[in-house]
Amino acid sequence: MSQTIRVSVDPDLEALIPGFLQNRHTDVVKLQDALAAGDLATVQSIGHMLKGVGGGYGFVRITELGAGLEAAARDNDRDAMDRQISELAQYLAQVEVIYEE
Amino acid sequence: MTEQQASEQQQANPATVLLVDDDDDILSLLSVWLDKAGYDVQTATSGREALKQFDLLRPQLVITDLFMDDLDGMALLTRVHQANPLLPVIMLSGKAQIPDAIKATHLGSAAFLTKPVQRQELLDQASRALNRAADPYIDAAFSQGLIYKSSQMAELVEHAKLVADSDITVFIQGETGTGKEVLARAIHDASPRREQPFIPINCGAFPEQLLESELFGHEKGAFTGANSRHEGLFLAANGGTLFLDEVGDMPLQLQVKLLRVLQDFQVRPVGSTRNYPVDVRVISATHRNLAQAVKAGEFREDLYYRLNVVPLKIPSLAERREDISVLIDHLLQAHQRRYPNRTRRYFAPEALDYLATAPWPGNVRQLINMIEQCCTLSRTEAIPLSLVQRALQDDPASRIQTLKEAKDTFERNYLLSVMRICTGNVANAARIAGRNRTEFYKLLGQHDIDPAQFRDRNNDD
Repeated sequence: MSQTIRVSVDPDLEALIPGFLQNRHTDVVKLQDALAAGDLATVQSIGHMLKGVGGGYGFVRITELGAGLEAAARDNDRDAMDRQISELAQYLAQVEVIYEE
Repeated sequence: MTEQQASEQQQANPATVLLVDDDDDILSLLSVWLDKAGYDVQTATSGREALKQFDLLRPQLVITDLFMDDLDGMALLTRVHQANPLLPVIMLSGKAQIPDAIKATHLGSAAFLTKPVQRQELLDQASRALNRAADPYIDAAFSQGLIYKSSQMAELVEHAKLVADSDITVFIQGETGTGKEVLARAIHDASPRREQPFIPINCGAFPEQLLESELFGHEKGAFTGANSRHEGLFLAANGGTLFLDEVGDMPLQLQVKLLRVLQDFQVRPVGSTRNYPVDVRVISATHRNLAQAVKAGEFREDLYYRLNVVPLKIPSLAERREDISVLIDHLLQAHQRRYPNRTRRYFAPEALDYLATAPWPGNVRQLINMIEQCCTLSRTEAIPLSLVQRALQDDPASRIQTLKEAKDTFERNYLLSVMRICTGNVANAARIAGRNRTEFYKLLGQHDIDPAQFRDRNNDD
């Protein structure tokens, strides 16, 4: 569980990364709250946003999970939403950023 | 230009980019990319904020998200283009929806990118949007059809080059014979649609029902005489450009139908229950003053604004007399190339003088016809003045004028003769004409007549 996931990120973005990851931790909380409240529109919208923002910063997995969440919310698939929110939380806990071209 | 040179030039004089997105993470990311590439980046987190900053910053490029709460990217694009129709706008969207992309490009966006956006893709599109006119295809397309040295034409071509690369709807205004179709074709040839069809149609040349079926198509049996299915020019031009010449002559009924196609990018043939999607760039033109036609209720206002996104006005030949000599050279050479076995012709000096000052109501087309006629009829290598005068008087373009053109011509000649008689004394001329001096000055101004021309040279010296 505690193994790290290494992600290479463009050194130009170094100053932005801590804030970016902090925002994603906040997203996890928002997603859990929204799912608990049955607010699928919010889940879909956060998923859509994650899809658009992850890959650009170098976190392709965040884009994949965002796309998955967006689709699961549209299909009202609670299991899939739950699973992917957990996966996102775990990914954020394990990710280690290396700045390289 | 090498990449390094481009980057050095960029640093010396950075282009201002206004970046608009309601997502802070996207805004920061794209800002870093653009900043590292040497742009002066300014950001706004909403469409309204962007509009506020727009006037202050005067950006050379706008990059905006499509979906935003208060004022979305499409509305921002429209507002930005009201202030500056030629400003490139790049649209970003989380959803790759074709109708949005088509609508955005028709409204004049320079590019439509889907998130997540790649760094290189964004930078390529930004530099492309800022350097459009440097495209060799664009230069080639415009140098083939348009011959000029006047600053009015240079400015027109500069504007046309800027719009060529997008799908922005262009409206060409110009007198008959000025080359509206030539300009439309050059825009098409310079556009990414150049491999697809360019289809011109004169909307004034068809009765209403025929025009409707020409444009939108019809099903078999849609009306008496419709013995087979006809796909229509919108569908035939799919992927390419449709040139609607004399769009001002289109009947009101059809204007409604045209407006719908331009809004929905779908065509419904006469007698059909189906809509067909079309991706067509529309360039329209008229010799009429459409703003006046709108006021008179002859042309729909909504359609006028939809067509008139970027207006291009072609000057009449009389307004660009300095081009007459280069046009004559070009046309004589073209004639020579077509008939290499004929003796080479040129105009006698007094014939050239006459051509340079002729009224040219039929514009470049009249000039082309006149040169063809003179080259064919001249018995000598030097085309004499008498032949030129005869060709111009026999030209139907100068004989059949509209009532307004005839009145204008009469009024101009009248003013010239009165001014000659009075040797440029406006007070006397006004008295003879039965007008007060202010009115008379106004008339002279309308016809671009300078009283100083008529004053006695010896008195002036």
